[in-house]
Amino acid sequence: MSQFVIVKNLTKKYGELTAVDNLSFDVDKNEIFGFLGPNGAGKSTTLSVLTTLSDLNKGDIEVGGYHIHKDKMKIKQLIGMVPQDIAVYENLSALENVKFFASLYGFRGKKLTGAAKEALEFVGLSDRLNMKPKQMSGGMKRRLNIACGIAHEPQLIVMDEPTVGVDAQSREHILNSIRTLRERGATVIYTSHYMNEVEEICDRIAIIDRGQMVACGTKAELVSLVTDVQSVYIETKLSVAFEGAEIKKKLKTLPNVKAVVTEENTVRIDISIEQNSITRILEQFLAFGMPIINIKTEVPNLDTMFLTLTGHELR
Amino acid sequence: MFNIIIKETKEFIREKSYLFFFIMFPVILVFLLGNLLDETDIAESTIGMVQIDYQIDTQDPFQIAAIDSFVNGNTEQGMISFHKTEDFAQSIQLAGEDEITAAVMFGGTPLQIQVYEGTDRVKNRTVEAVLNGFIQINKTVSAVLKTSPEGLSEFKLEDADYTVDKNLNEKRSMIDYYAVTMVVMISFMSILVGSNAFIGERQNKTINRLIIAPQNRVSMFLQKICGMAPQALLQVAIIMITSVVVFKASYGATVESNLYLFFLFFVITFCMVSLGAIIGLLIKINPFIVIMPVLWIMMFFGGTYSKELDIKGFSEFMPNNIFQRAAFDVAIFGRYEMANSVILICAVTTIVALIVGAFLFNHKEEER
Repeated sequence: MSQFVIVKNLTKKYGELTAVDNLSFDVDKNEIFGFLGPNGAGKSTTLSVLTTLSDLNKGDIEVGGYHIHKDKMKIKQLIGMVPQDIAVYENLSALENVKFFASLYGFRGKKLTGAAKEALEFVGLSDRLNMKPKQMSGGMKRRLNIACGIAHEPQLIVMDEPTVGVDAQSREHILNSIRTLRERGATVIYTSHYMNEVEEICDRIAIIDRGQMVACGTKAELVSLVTDVQSVYIETKLSVAFEGAEIKKKLKTLPNVKAVVTEENTVRIDISIEQNSITRILEQFLAFGMPIINIKTEVPNLDTMFLTLTGHELR
Repeated sequence: MFNIIIKETKEFIREKSYLFFFIMFPVILVFLLGNLLDETDIAESTIGMVQIDYQIDTQDPFQIAAIDSFVNGNTEQGMISFHKTEDFAQSIQLAGEDEITAAVMFGGTPLQIQVYEGTDRVKNRTVEAVLNGFIQINKTVSAVLKTSPEGLSEFKLEDADYTVDKNLNEKRSMIDYYAVTMVVMISFMSILVGSNAFIGERQNKTINRLIIAPQNRVSMFLQKICGMAPQALLQVAIIMITSVVVFKASYGATVESNLYLFFLFFVITFCMVSLGAIIGLLIKINPFIVIMPVLWIMMFFGGTYSKELDIKGFSEFMPNNIFQRAAFDVAIFGRYEMANSVILICAVTTIVALIVGAFLFNHKEEER
């Protein structure tokens, strides 16, 4: 499979802050490429440079065979952006919005109207052509946001959390749309805070943290990085939120503990698969005077992998 | 190019707050201020009889003769009645009670005038103007007497009227004043439209979609500014037509002068839009918060809301005051010099603003 996007040693600084530090990755043509990282990891900055919204300080980006330094306009023509924020004009109808953005890519006349209607049909808004965004639900606005980014039939679609704040039905529609876009030949770079979405639709996933690449590969490849880890869920009677910080701190000092996450009545501990690991944890847990109601272990998944590799939860 | 212009026009027409603020509001103000303040205008134009009690406290026969000549000359014209009083204290009291306009004491060498005025502002201005004129002539004659007394023999009093009355064929009312003033006001406030053109894109988050589009940024900036032109034309045209047709206001005396005024207002509006665009690219907060207070102060002290707020040395430097004077020159006196200068300055300012704005937009990075 040919590489459609090649990012080499990308560095982007904002003053003294290095938002992206020597980052390299590539995306194959016709691939859905997931981009994961905690808040402030550098995901949005990377996408911003890739989509020509910001200039890079160092490195090179190649999209569809064009280099960003030499052929920025040609790269712009290839890219469709679906931003995290809904970026539409409130006083224009759905059709007028999509037509306006497609017109910026050189579409005119019947071709423009046809492309706009097709994009709206694609996102399931063909019966809302004349509706203004202020009359739409959150999910419909999200779909219109997508239509505005894909009407000019881009070869590379960059989607930054396109499902934030939508209902389950709209989310399913959006995810199916992304799959269909891939089937039509587009390459998609997708970021999300929802791990299950990324697992569900992405062919490969890159994880970045502090502006650097932590891991990149298929879901199976990433999970294999943490096969020596298992998650232990301990449910207790008392709220661990009350003393959560203290409990986390003590549990983290135990040998073989990789990460600790506390929720209402449950503590999740990622530990190395070694003899006596669980026993030590249970002893320590009972030493806190907290009754154990239930214990559950899980094999590693993307969540485990993310937490282990970055030390943070995705959210 | 037309897609951006059409988009900008549609957004303007469909935004109810814009329509109210930039079209309805000034039209309402023309009507309200024009009618409510019309009484003030009548009071000013009809000054009425000015009655002055005076006393002479000097032994200089030349000064006494000069004062008598001045008093008799003015009394003969009928507008001002001078009455020589024996009891000046009582005259001061009468002035305080507005029974007479003022009590005036001529005295001293060189001649000085003490004026005790009543409360009628317009009549007081008349008294001051007349007495200032007299004291200037008196000083001049005294100076000539000292330096070249024989020169006075060349001076002959003639019973001639040196003023020429121009018949304007129509009576100007306050509604005419506000018809012109409100178009200037709205042209001036178009700076908000310009700034909002870019701040609106930022608030809608659509500016990033514009930045990533494969378009020349300078061209895109100019298209957006040109997209404001139909709005500028529309708002000026609607206010002028409504004022004339509905409120029977007058602008210029001829079709040519009206078209010239329309052009003047359009040039000012477009200049303000261009300046607003720079502000919109530089500031990130709501333009109304930043620009409105400045505009209100300028308009308040620039005579937009009332002619009486004029502050000498301050008002005449307010851009809106200059624009208004240029427009009144064309509308009332048929003089084009000042308006030509305004058009030239606005055109140069617009070009500079467009260059600066295009530079800023061309170097604009992502908005988060």
